[in-house]
Amino acid sequence: MKRLMWLVPVVVAAWLLPYGLGGYAIHVVDVAIIFAILAVGLGLTMGVAGQINLAQVAFFGVGAYTVAILTTQAGLGFWTASVLALLAAVVFGVLVGIPALRMQSHYLGIVTLGLALAFTNWVTNAHIAGRAEGISDIPVPPMFGIDLSSGYLFYYVELIVFAVALAFALLVTRSPLGRRLRAMRDDDLAAGSLGAEIPLLRMTAFVLSGLYGGLAGILYAGLIRFVAPESFNIANMFLLLAMVIIGGRSSILGCVVGAVALALVREALLDASGFAQLGYGLVVVLVVVFAPKGLAGLPEQIRSLLRGRGSGSRAQLGPFQPYDTAPRATEEDVLQIRDVTMRFKGLVALDDVSLTVPAGQIRGIVGPNGSGKTTLFNVVSGFYSPSQGSVLLRGREVTGLAPYRLAQRRVARTFQNLRLFEDLSVRENLLLGLDRTRTWWIWRYPSVPWKVLGYERALRRRVEDLIGRFGLAEVADAEPRSLPYGIQRRIELARAMAMSPTLLLLDEPAAGLNGEEVRQLAEIVRSIRDSGVTVIIIEHNMGLVMSLCDQVTVLSNGKVIADGRPAEVAVHPDVVAAYLGDSMSAPTEATAEAAAEEAAR
Amino acid sequence: MQVFLQTLIGGVTFGAVYALVAMGFSIVYRTMGLVNFAHGSVVMIGAYAASTFYMASKLPFAVAIIVAIAVTALIGLVIERFLRPLENKDFTLMLIGTIGFGAVLEAGAVLVWGATGHAVPSPVATGPIDVAGIRIPTYSLMVIAVAAAATGLLALFLQRTKRGAAMQAVAMDHQAATAVGIHVGRSNAMAFAIGAGLAALAGSLIGPMLYVNPTMGGTLGIKGFAAAMLGGFGSMPGAIVGGLVFGLLDSFAAGNFQEYSELVTFLVFAVIVMVRPTGIFGEATVNRA
Repeated sequence: MKRLMWLVPVVVAAWLLPYGLGGYAIHVVDVAIIFAILAVGLGLTMGVAGQINLAQVAFFGVGAYTVAILTTQAGLGFWTASVLALLAAVVFGVLVGIPALRMQSHYLGIVTLGLALAFTNWVTNAHIAGRAEGISDIPVPPMFGIDLSSGYLFYYVELIVFAVALAFALLVTRSPLGRRLRAMRDDDLAAGSLGAEIPLLRMTAFVLSGLYGGLAGILYAGLIRFVAPESFNIANMFLLLAMVIIGGRSSILGCVVGAVALALVREALLDASGFAQLGYGLVVVLVVVFAPKGLAGLPEQIRSLLRGRGSGSRAQLGPFQPYDTAPRATEEDVLQIRDVTMRFKGLVALDDVSLTVPAGQIRGIVGPNGSGKTTLFNVVSGFYSPSQGSVLLRGREVTGLAPYRLAQRRVARTFQNLRLFEDLSVRENLLLGLDRTRTWWIWRYPSVPWKVLGYERALRRRVEDLIGRFGLAEVADAEPRSLPYGIQRRIELARAMAMSPTLLLLDEPAAGLNGEEVRQLAEIVRSIRDSGVTVIIIEHNMGLVMSLCDQVTVLSNGKVIADGRPAEVAVHPDVVAAYLGDSMSAPTEATAEAAAEEAAR
Repeated sequence: MQVFLQTLIGGVTFGAVYALVAMGFSIVYRTMGLVNFAHGSVVMIGAYAASTFYMASKLPFAVAIIVAIAVTALIGLVIERFLRPLENKDFTLMLIGTIGFGAVLEAGAVLVWGATGHAVPSPVATGPIDVAGIRIPTYSLMVIAVAAAATGLLALFLQRTKRGAAMQAVAMDHQAATAVGIHVGRSNAMAFAIGAGLAALAGSLIGPMLYVNPTMGGTLGIKGFAAAMLGGFGSMPGAIVGGLVFGLLDSFAAGNFQEYSELVTFLVFAVIVMVRPTGIFGEATVNRA
């Protein structure tokens, strides 16, 4: 409770504010609060979830217009109309968000902008929306005899709505959902491989956007009691964007500060609006170039400037604490790959590959560059859907399932080139692996928010065990990009193990590690196997493969050329030929790999 | 049939202009990976510059266009210099930065020319040509011809000259281009200047067809982007085809749905790109792995 003490003066100040303001000033404040709610919504979708949504102002419009139409033309009461308006805005948000399932970044930006223009076009021309003149005489919202036509009293309504909306946004960003949204923003492939249901999360982002847009629209209709197309045009969308960027898009509080500040500045410069717009434009350009994280990121930026380059001592990894040994599992097959072929536009990366991995094994997959090893992992973990053949996980068909579905079936993987979430701390990276809830779990956010907080606390307790086990205590709060390569490899392994997988796929885990780190890696992988996890490992370090693996499969040119105990495989004539090779085939393989990667991108 | 052909001609005329906008946008996008949302505003500045020189100083229209191209190419160089730190970086920042520049240009236009805008008389005095009962405005023919000529010149430049080839190389891999001794910064600046020049050409041509005002850039820009996206981002043939397709879509929507044409156009556009996000000649994927 003590941590919340700083809120008291803020609340008191907000409560007393109207006593010091004139009638027009309070109106300006009322409008600023509405913009703040809009900015929070945009911050959630764009800053936190990374969905370029340029239709936020249309969601705002849908909320306001629905209230206007339902109260003036269908004769509904203000609050009944409001509930329906909120619903309409959310539905509209989902519809606008559907393209996000197929495209991202600038593509999504242009489509949402186009849909926002379509909305303005409709309200400017539809009779029901009052055409260019808009709709006036929206009734004053009734409130137990309190006269809400007074800007002062309406301020208190807004203040309460705003406080709830802000608290909800903060709850979202500081809990499992927000963490997943940020992970999706940074790297949606890695987030998917950790079990984040990307399509549902993107739609969730747009639902939130619609919710905040609709809420702001309802308040706008109640405050101004007049709606017209120009309030929801592209220029206002730009103003809103400027608020979010200047404030700092990934910080909700930054968005609020940006919105309130810009709304007040705009009011102050009303007489010189031409120059004012020139000013916003310039400020936005300057912020983008010099302070990309906005006002919210400034303290951090200044601190790092003052601290300069000389950072302290080099981070150290602690020792790994082995897992408890589990009893030997039953002799079932964890993974069966049957006749899998993978083609990329005529290039055959995998050619009729079959292999079976029994439970509790460490299976090595080796082969020259371009032989299809990573493609095989991508098929097993759901990044590629094979052209032919099937993949079975413990006897159940999983061919072509999305990565998040495989992650839910406890398949974990690491990546050849490391895919840690760079803007999240090491601890948060691990928490993402640890959190096994599904997206539908978020119904708890509106209904039982305290349970969300309880779950988050429990997760944070559990993550400490994991941090301790992998010896990451010293680096738990650092950003991965600031850490040495060997530590990043360890973090990615810990993140995969956080998912408590039954099948673990390691893609060149020893690449870039020094001798001591490789030895530790072997020890960790053995302990993981002994705890009952089946491990498949792609590796070029033959010493490691020979000492670690129970069985080795050799791929060359997309075909399995040998399979057996390490010692047998190493002397197999085809394997020797593939590695030392006849010089004619080598360049073809190199080109094949390049082409396969090109096609995969 | 007659109505259909009449709409077709209108569509191709606007399509030619959209294609110019989309090409200017694409040449910047492909060489430096910058999504330039200020492009629409550059078109607007081009329209203002050309029409002002044409009407105020009684210059021939062609000369006015060339002056306008020079003016906007300079503006393009300024934008490029400012946004250079953002090239090939975080997309969201680029988006906001260029939108910011767009706002600056728009506010500048309001300060210089006022908020109301002006109509531009057609530079071609002769009446429409009558072909089998369809009236083809001579100005439309001129727009199509000029757009085609500009496209041809650009293609020649990119494929036949050393600088054009260098620009193509930067588009494919800017690091490799640096390694073989191409000045990437200079090449980028030139791409930006060419893009802005194409925007000015589009703006000058569309001036007499529309009412020139400070906010025209917003809609024109979005339509140009949409055209580029239909054709496939960053592809030059795609920009041309996408421009024509979007022009036709626009004019048939206007013919059949009158005031709701924008609504219909963008809904149809959203559906098309949902089905085929990469456009006609597009990049291999939208979600880069």
